[in-house]
Amino acid sequence: MRGRTRTLTCSVLAVALVAGGCTRTTDSGGGGEEKKTKTQTGSISYEAADNQGPAAAVNGATRGGTVTVMQVSDFEHLDPARNYVNVQQVTGGLLYRSLNGYKENGSGQLLLVGDLATDPGKDVDGDCKVWEFTLRDGVKYEDGSPVTSRDVAYGIGRSFAPSLNEGPHYIQQWLYPGGVYNATYKGPYDGGKPVPDGITTPDDRTIRFTFPQPHCDMPYAAALPTSAPVPAGKDTRDQYDLRPFSSGPYKVKSYQRDVALELERNPNWDPKTDPLRTAYPDGFRFTFGLESAQIAERLVADAPADQASISWVDVPPAVLPRTTSGGVAERVVKGPTQYTWVLNINTQRVTDLNIRKALNYAVDKDAVLKAVGGQAAGSPATTLMSPTTAGFKTYDVFHAPINGDKAKVAELLAGQRPKLVLAHSNIELRTQQAEALRKNLTDMGFDIVMKPIENSSYYDEIGRKNNPYDLYIGGWGSDWPTGSTIIPPLYDGREIVAEGNNNLSYLNEPAVSAEIDRIRKLPAAEQDAGWTALDEKIMREYVPVVPCYYDAAYELRGSKIGNAFLSDAYGILQANTIYVKQ
Amino acid sequence: MLRFILRRLLVAAATLVVISLVTFGLFFAVPSSPAKVMCGKNCTAEDIAQVEARLGIDQPLPRQYTDFVQGVFVGRTYGEGDFARRCPAPCLGYSFRNNQPVTEIIAQRLPVTASIVAGGAVIWLLLGVTLGMVSALRRGTVFDRAAIGVTLAGASMQVYFFGLILLYVLVYATGLLPFPSYTPLTQNPLRWAVGLLLPWMTLGFLNSALYARLSRAQMLETLSEDFVRTARAKGLSPRQVHLRHALRAAITPIVTIAGLDIGTSLGGTFITESIFGLQGLGKATVEAVQFLNLPLVMATVLLAAVFIVVANIVVDVLYAVIDPRVRLN
Amino acid sequence: MTTSAVPAPRRGSAPHLRVEELRVHFTTTDGVVRAVDGLSFAVDQGRTLGIVGESGSGKSVTSLAVLGLHDRRRTRISGRILLGGRELVGLPEEEVRRLRGRDLAMIFQDPLSALHPYYSVGRQITEAYRVHHPGAGTREARQRAVDMLGRVGIPQPARRFDQYPHEFSGGMRQRVMIAMALVNDPDLLIADEPTTALDVTVQAQILDLLADLQAEFHSAIILITHDLGVVSQVADDVLVMYGGRAVERGSVEQVLRRPQHPYTWGLLSSVPSLHGDADADLLPIPGNPPSLINLPSGCAFHPRCRYADRNGDRSRTQAPELRQVVERGHLVACHLTEAERQRIYRDEISQVGVAR
Repeated sequence: MRGRTRTLTCSVLAVALVAGGCTRTTDSGGGGEEKKTKTQTGSISYEAADNQGPAAAVNGATRGGTVTVMQVSDFEHLDPARNYVNVQQVTGGLLYRSLNGYKENGSGQLLLVGDLATDPGKDVDGDCKVWEFTLRDGVKYEDGSPVTSRDVAYGIGRSFAPSLNEGPHYIQQWLYPGGVYNATYKGPYDGGKPVPDGITTPDDRTIRFTFPQPHCDMPYAAALPTSAPVPAGKDTRDQYDLRPFSSGPYKVKSYQRDVALELERNPNWDPKTDPLRTAYPDGFRFTFGLESAQIAERLVADAPADQASISWVDVPPAVLPRTTSGGVAERVVKGPTQYTWVLNINTQRVTDLNIRKALNYAVDKDAVLKAVGGQAAGSPATTLMSPTTAGFKTYDVFHAPINGDKAKVAELLAGQRPKLVLAHSNIELRTQQAEALRKNLTDMGFDIVMKPIENSSYYDEIGRKNNPYDLYIGGWGSDWPTGSTIIPPLYDGREIVAEGNNNLSYLNEPAVSAEIDRIRKLPAAEQDAGWTALDEKIMREYVPVVPCYYDAAYELRGSKIGNAFLSDAYGILQANTIYVKQ
Repeated sequence: MLRFILRRLLVAAATLVVISLVTFGLFFAVPSSPAKVMCGKNCTAEDIAQVEARLGIDQPLPRQYTDFVQGVFVGRTYGEGDFARRCPAPCLGYSFRNNQPVTEIIAQRLPVTASIVAGGAVIWLLLGVTLGMVSALRRGTVFDRAAIGVTLAGASMQVYFFGLILLYVLVYATGLLPFPSYTPLTQNPLRWAVGLLLPWMTLGFLNSALYARLSRAQMLETLSEDFVRTARAKGLSPRQVHLRHALRAAITPIVTIAGLDIGTSLGGTFITESIFGLQGLGKATVEAVQFLNLPLVMATVLLAAVFIVVANIVVDVLYAVIDPRVRLN
Repeated sequence: MTTSAVPAPRRGSAPHLRVEELRVHFTTTDGVVRAVDGLSFAVDQGRTLGIVGESGSGKSVTSLAVLGLHDRRRTRISGRILLGGRELVGLPEEEVRRLRGRDLAMIFQDPLSALHPYYSVGRQITEAYRVHHPGAGTREARQRAVDMLGRVGIPQPARRFDQYPHEFSGGMRQRVMIAMALVNDPDLLIADEPTTALDVTVQAQILDLLADLQAEFHSAIILITHDLGVVSQVADDVLVMYGGRAVERGSVEQVLRRPQHPYTWGLLSSVPSLHGDADADLLPIPGNPPSLINLPSGCAFHPRCRYADRNGDRSRTQAPELRQVVERGHLVACHLTEAERQRIYRDEISQVGVAR
């Protein structure tokens, strides 16, 4: 995910105690420390067994019941063209099917397989420029009409509309590279053609994308909601948000904005066509407008009416102590998310590699983490990418103790006492965190000047190329679980512009850029190892940041919820194969 | 009376214009842009510009204000071309956040707050006034002392504290009551009542404390009035003296305060709504401000002002009905 | 016969109201207030008794005790109050209530505050009627009230029936009070400063009205006032109170023409005479009324009495009893000898004030 804007959104939302998907970036979570850094085994599967429906039955699962999802705030968007946040994506996945999807079973294995498509997409010429998807036979909308490739193309077409511009724009940008994605094509409204250049539908079940440049990531981009089908006749434009036309196992029964969303079964959904979803519950009921503490208290109490409930909101610190005992502890669902928080070092200003290394030995990651809620909020990081990334392998360049290594810092600084400006957002949480850092770094032999920045313009300020700051904390989460939406946007020097940068360390190393280009041209399956190696290379040779902590989710479920596990693709409780115990 | 009401309505209208202007001005004095908040992720400068155009906040301020006023009285058209959307009067615009017509949001939220306030007011008026009156009549007895103690504790307690205690005791710990939820009265009166019991108790009990103290003081004052002595000298029974003569006079200031309290509460009971997860006007207002959702901010602020203004007029009219000495002209 | 039935007052026989050794004590946080302490008097049918004294002398407390309007929890009443031979002290509240407004009625000082501001005068009068005539219909009660309003001299009574107290002038309001008090034809009417709040011309009209009505209804009237002029105008007998006790009692002629108590002299001297020398000095009574919680020892009036020293220590140590003087029916509580009192009055007092 484009973390820059996401974290911006989150910091705003956090004030309102809203947005389940965002709270973890600012709120603290519970005591869910994942000591064993696992190796992500995710990959793209073209195996027929993985790509065929129906999805494997879950042991002991029963059909029926209604899952209640307690949320702090309503979804901003459910329209597939505007759907970008993890909670919306998981919910959207119950209503509509994208070309591809993630197959998970709770064992840590994450497979990208075809959802609407029969497999994750064919690289027609082997150069990642032309991608072809074949739709499954027998996939129907809620009214019984068949899903066609033209509807998928139309769905992507309408995502160019300026009025529906909140979604991810990878495919859009790839179709129209250079400049703003919708500078030339503005979608099918106001007389525009229904389908953008580069998309063709030779027949009802085939859709073909032709990109000017190679994009081996296409199978992942096709898993974003943008590729969900929208029949032109059902397009209600900005009202589509309220009632997306269902191609998935559920359809909207009622939707009262900010109050409740009810989903009921789509009788025309055929489990045999779906390798991802078991759709055990008869329905879902989302309740909005609760406080995070209320949600946690209710799930802890587990009253009969709340036993078939889940929430994607992290347990707030005040309730954490009550989640560690027997009956409640077993209902905690926790684990890492896609986010990694790092202390960015402005490499334009801090050019001495030894100082950057010294900072890596100096930062007390425990203190930095404690300021935002301790172990429930995350676990100490040593890498750039999060453990949920495909092909993730942990490494530690510095092997510094968690509280820092003063001797090593002194050795690297060799008698100097660098004066560094530490910028931070002025909200309480970030101020506390920065204060902890200042104390820690001062003690380690640096002179730290604090520079608070108004929260809403924090990322604008540090995203300015010639900003006058040396250190600033930032979080980033990937849009799909590979390094391709982490390393290039954050560490490719060619992406640096005057304003609005995501490369906040302003690392500009031709060797890194060249390596990025090399990896991008690899087949998707081989890229994972490449990104992992580049991650380590950047930290070993250029040290542009101090990895601080991997963000963690800490959620609760009711006692009647079965097969509840954290989705590695989305960092929240999964919904595809959940069931209500009868 | 009619002329009085007409004149008051004119003043009210002027008040609302001023409030709308101030709200409008304050909103744009805030440095942050709603487009930035609304734009969400992956937001480029171009995206922000597109959102600003869509929200209409790229227009000059006076133009935006006159458009707003025009919308309220004659309706207005949003967008152009395929996106043109007619918003009939009274048009309060569309929520920046989810494009919902603001009138629709208000229509959803108002019944929630109104239900909370209605039930709470019934409790605080019945319980509070009765407690105060009985205390006054039994001045100095154990009952009176106990009531004073309880109401002192109640009056100094905060809604969120008392509400949380009720939640723990009645919901989390014992499960005696379900977690509050709103069901429209017309849909299922029983579920409506059960779902709102906790907020009613919270709001009702705490305000009862205030009203009991007020009623007691008023009643004590009235009981020492000459006309109460006259009533007793006429040979009226204590019941007649207390209800027909003392209460009637003591209730007047209570009606005033209750009217204003209810009017103010109808604008939103944010704390109560948050504690019990109810989507009323109070939460709508606070969220609107946090999300820089201008149309909703304007609507909720103005609505709250309307309630207060109307409550004032109603109280004045009621006063005239209760007290023949008050002439409305 | 049920307990609620009240025996009809025996008209014509001995005093209609007879108060004996009445004591009214209030318990307060500061101590016991002896508001009335051993008071005795009687009023006959068709007669008017004026009770005079400064504020705090126990006049109003006495009248409220007769009506049983004191808060029973905080008031201790002892002695006897006989109304038509019936003992009121110790009578259950409910029975006293049935007498109030029917057998004994009261008119208060300030008719504006004594009338309920929110109810029409008609409604307040009919309410007084109907509480004692439960069988009376709306129309009958209304007719009765309109009659009474007419009787007390309110023009266009049927129209004014529906008006509110604030729409009446002060005098008219007091007439309404009187109509309300007399609507049940009571045998005893207590008027507590009925004219104090009115201007002088209206005062005379109200007093005349009371006198006329008394002639018509043949009630006994207790007129409480601090105004000796009023007393001389309408009362038959006078009771002078000081510190909760009677200091002098007798006919108007006796008390006002031949007063024997220094306090009565003081009262008379402090009233300007309409007939006498306008330049004659008024002689106000020095000092303040006594504290009823801590009454002066002996004669309660002694700290303010110019003649207290003439009896050695007696005035300070011994409370004087109310004794009959030579003239029948005239009683005085004073340690001075009757001869002395007569001499002092003749030589020093009678030159000033209304006594002439």
